[in-house]
Amino acid sequence: MPNNSNRLGLVFFPAFDWAISPDHPEREERLLYTRDQIVEEGLLDLPGLVEYRPELATEKDVQRAQICIPTVKSVVTESHLVAAGGTITAADKVMKGEVDRAFALLRPPGHHAMRFVHGSRGFCTINNEAIMIEHLRHVYGAHLKIAVVDTDAHHADGSQDIYYNDPDVLHICLHQDGRTLYPGTGDVAELGGPGAYALTLNVPLPPESGDSELLYVLEHLVMPVLADFGPDIVINAAGQDNHYTDPLTNMNVTAKGYARLTEILKPDIVVLEGGYSIEGALPYVNVGIILALAGLDYSAVREPDTQPPEAPTAVKEAVRRTVGFLQDTWGKRREKDLDSLYGCGPFFKRQRRIYYDTDEIMEEQQEEIRRCEQCSGYRVVLSAAAKSYRSGRRAAAVLIPWHVCKNCRDEAMEAFERLKPDRELEYVYLQDTADDRYLVKSARQ
Amino acid sequence: MSRIIGIDVGGTNTNAALLEDGNLVATAKYPTDHHALLSSAGAVLEEIMLSLPEQSKQNLELHLSTTLTTNAIVEGCGEPVAAILSPGPGVNLADLEFPFPVFAVKGAIDHRGRETEPLDLAEIGQAIRSIRQQGINSLAIVGKFAVRNPCHELEIAKLLQKESSDILSLTLGHRLSGRLNFPRRVMTAFLNAGVSRLQAEFAGMVKQLVSSYGIGGPIFLLKADGGTMELDESLTRPVETILSGPAASIMGTLALGSLDDQTVVTLDIGGTTTEIAVLVGSDPLTERDGAVIGGYRTLVPALFSRSIGLGGDSRVYWNEGKLEIGPERKGPPVALGGPELTPTDAVIALGYVSFGDRQKARAELERFGKQAGLGVKEEELAERIIAVFCERAITGVRRVFDYLNQMPVYTVSEVLAPKGLQPEKLIGMGGPAEFFIPKIAAGLGLPYQVLPYAEAANAVGAAASRPTVAINLRADTALGKLVVPELDELEDIRHAMTFDLKNARELAREKVLVYAARMGVYPEQIGTQLDRSEIEITTEEAFNVVRGFYTAGRIFSLTAQIRPKVNPVKTGF
Repeated sequence: MPNNSNRLGLVFFPAFDWAISPDHPEREERLLYTRDQIVEEGLLDLPGLVEYRPELATEKDVQRAQICIPTVKSVVTESHLVAAGGTITAADKVMKGEVDRAFALLRPPGHHAMRFVHGSRGFCTINNEAIMIEHLRHVYGAHLKIAVVDTDAHHADGSQDIYYNDPDVLHICLHQDGRTLYPGTGDVAELGGPGAYALTLNVPLPPESGDSELLYVLEHLVMPVLADFGPDIVINAAGQDNHYTDPLTNMNVTAKGYARLTEILKPDIVVLEGGYSIEGALPYVNVGIILALAGLDYSAVREPDTQPPEAPTAVKEAVRRTVGFLQDTWGKRREKDLDSLYGCGPFFKRQRRIYYDTDEIMEEQQEEIRRCEQCSGYRVVLSAAAKSYRSGRRAAAVLIPWHVCKNCRDEAMEAFERLKPDRELEYVYLQDTADDRYLVKSARQ
Repeated sequence: MSRIIGIDVGGTNTNAALLEDGNLVATAKYPTDHHALLSSAGAVLEEIMLSLPEQSKQNLELHLSTTLTTNAIVEGCGEPVAAILSPGPGVNLADLEFPFPVFAVKGAIDHRGRETEPLDLAEIGQAIRSIRQQGINSLAIVGKFAVRNPCHELEIAKLLQKESSDILSLTLGHRLSGRLNFPRRVMTAFLNAGVSRLQAEFAGMVKQLVSSYGIGGPIFLLKADGGTMELDESLTRPVETILSGPAASIMGTLALGSLDDQTVVTLDIGGTTTEIAVLVGSDPLTERDGAVIGGYRTLVPALFSRSIGLGGDSRVYWNEGKLEIGPERKGPPVALGGPELTPTDAVIALGYVSFGDRQKARAELERFGKQAGLGVKEEELAERIIAVFCERAITGVRRVFDYLNQMPVYTVSEVLAPKGLQPEKLIGMGGPAEFFIPKIAAGLGLPYQVLPYAEAANAVGAAASRPTVAINLRADTALGKLVVPELDELEDIRHAMTFDLKNARELAREKVLVYAARMGVYPEQIGTQLDRSEIEITTEEAFNVVRGFYTAGRIFSLTAQIRPKVNPVKTGF
């Protein structure tokens, strides 16, 4: 067998007995053909490859990253906890030095799941990467600097939301332009909150973008920004729906393009996200990624159908403009007058509507972020969610960040005291990442 | 009355056992001659035959387990083999570093068995000529995903037979294993082609030997999976006879041990190594993918066993003040004239056994203690050696169960299933077993049994084993195709719209019988001891194929097999 240089951990969990519904893209056999290809290629026999069994994430693991309303149990299935737990397993094996890199090749995905979880959106319920990151910070130290590079074709609005104001997590998201694809967000102007300006970077790519465009963004934006940020851990949220055969998107990336991306990015941990061309893309893309992670030759990985054409000039130019704008934004981020963006009051306020397509829920959110010189600031969020045919549910939460200052902590606790659950406001949560606390007040008790 | 002689030609000794209607009535033992494996078989056969009436020879059945193919592979003395491979897209073939000449040709089949690139017959013709020019007469032909559609392998084979009919041996990957794993299938086919000639010669000698004793019953060889195979069938699939010794030993435990449907860990403690195997509810565990032999990973179905470098003759030495045992063996124990201290010396020094020179063992222990500057008594040192020995064995057992419990699973229900296979009983065999097994069992907190007739357990296992066959069936109703690679069958599914899991199961059972008949295991022969209900569906998958938002068909993948089992054996002669 090949004599590869990297020790690679693989947590393969195809969840062969779980589907959102029988004909849903997120169904039992999504990774069946991928399993067949991986086994037939003999990848599980690679000398440096260790296959690990996923652990089960706990309620506490989820609560470090998200707020499930009303409870974790009410929104997740066991399958979600295995996927999140498997992602944790992959990360732990890397952190403990058992392997050099790890690939959590599992489902269901998670990157559309936001901080607040009223149900499922974009086939996601809980956020595998975020739950893993919070586990890492809890176990291996809060000072970890983490970079997430999301290469799914859909904007990772969930992960962006969770790390929107986190100064230690850089979130770079490459995706098909939101004007042409779910969830519609991910514009270059979305650059994060006042405590983490420009640590959210969005690279919308026009439809028909292919390998050249993806790799252009990687070489000219992602790699220099990563070098500058200096993360301790690089995570690749590896959606595979930029593939030219994907039924839900309009991109032209190939399996080899994905392998090359992996080779250049050298992520510590790779987590599968979307990708629904389960026969034509996933088997080849995943073999390409595994070979690249293991440091082996992937040049013979090729889809059986004809390869896509190069993107038109207009697409290439649009990508260059986007990259140029973001290079500029990153380079000048420290000089930016934040007051011009977030106002000069003590709080930055924003109001949003979030649609849960999978569960048909509409959520209204109001958020206040304390602007603070000492830390990234605590946050108070008010959320009202309703299914079209049901009455709404209202909840509030106070979020305390990792490196909270004394003043923000005191103010946050006061805010939590003030928020009293009543007939209108059913639940009040305190998510205190600094002290690893999670409190709930409910009118029902 | 049924009479079966089991013979195990092992590395050191050749053992034989005679079963009469399931009663163990005789055993025999003779040292193995590595240069003439069958001479020792002849010797034990002769001894057993002495006790048999002349007329019984007509129906006498012979079960033989030898190290022939194992040794040929480990020592690398098979025939030179070349392989024609159609690797399709994927891992770079050069990276697989096959230790034999490989000719990669065009042609590809995808994961659903569809041709995605045709063969280039001219290119194949060239490869064949080039192989023949190199004077290579044994060939393996393996295509990626040929188990989903063997048409390319069959076409290459046809061309080969047309171009050079005098080829010595030809192995097609899909016929040896219907399971996925291209590199392992290549290795399996290569090894099979390499030992074919040797096996043919051996089979001829066995027939000669048997007829010289006037034995008239069928002859079976033992396989790595603990089952048997008809001698003639072994000519086309000789690679399956590898590792039959350890398999015979496990089957012997099944036949002789009292198992009570528990999870049993077995320890076969030899001179150099200890073999650990696991039985769950009277079924031996099998390797997930296949046997590993001489560092080669294969798809040969094999019983699960792990070897640790720890035995009665292992070298005992100091390593930076720490007492260590093995994995090296320098020779027999000092008390039996060997060069260095061994665990057996410790046992002899304490007077627990009646053989060996106790004085010599004690003197060696004293010298050994002084070497480390220890003022301890010989007895104390001997106890310490025994304790370290047991600790190593216990760690070995724990590691095996950790490994088994870490096996990846692919469904939510398996992740949630109550964890853990744990040993409930220890069964030991081998020379030092009598002494060490009670202590190891105490350390593990398990009840134990030391196998009766332990020395002949392999031969009893060989005699008590029964035929095994397995087929893989895959039906893809969306494509309307059904494939059973082991049978070269690729058919259209009639009534694909209504073909369901029940049909798939029935068909798989039927195919096992067809295959069994083809392998010389005739249904009536199975019928005497096995009924159709013993054909088990051991793996089963059913998935929807969805096109757009509609279900376009289903894919069924099943493995049906007659699993390794033993005929019950009564002892007490």
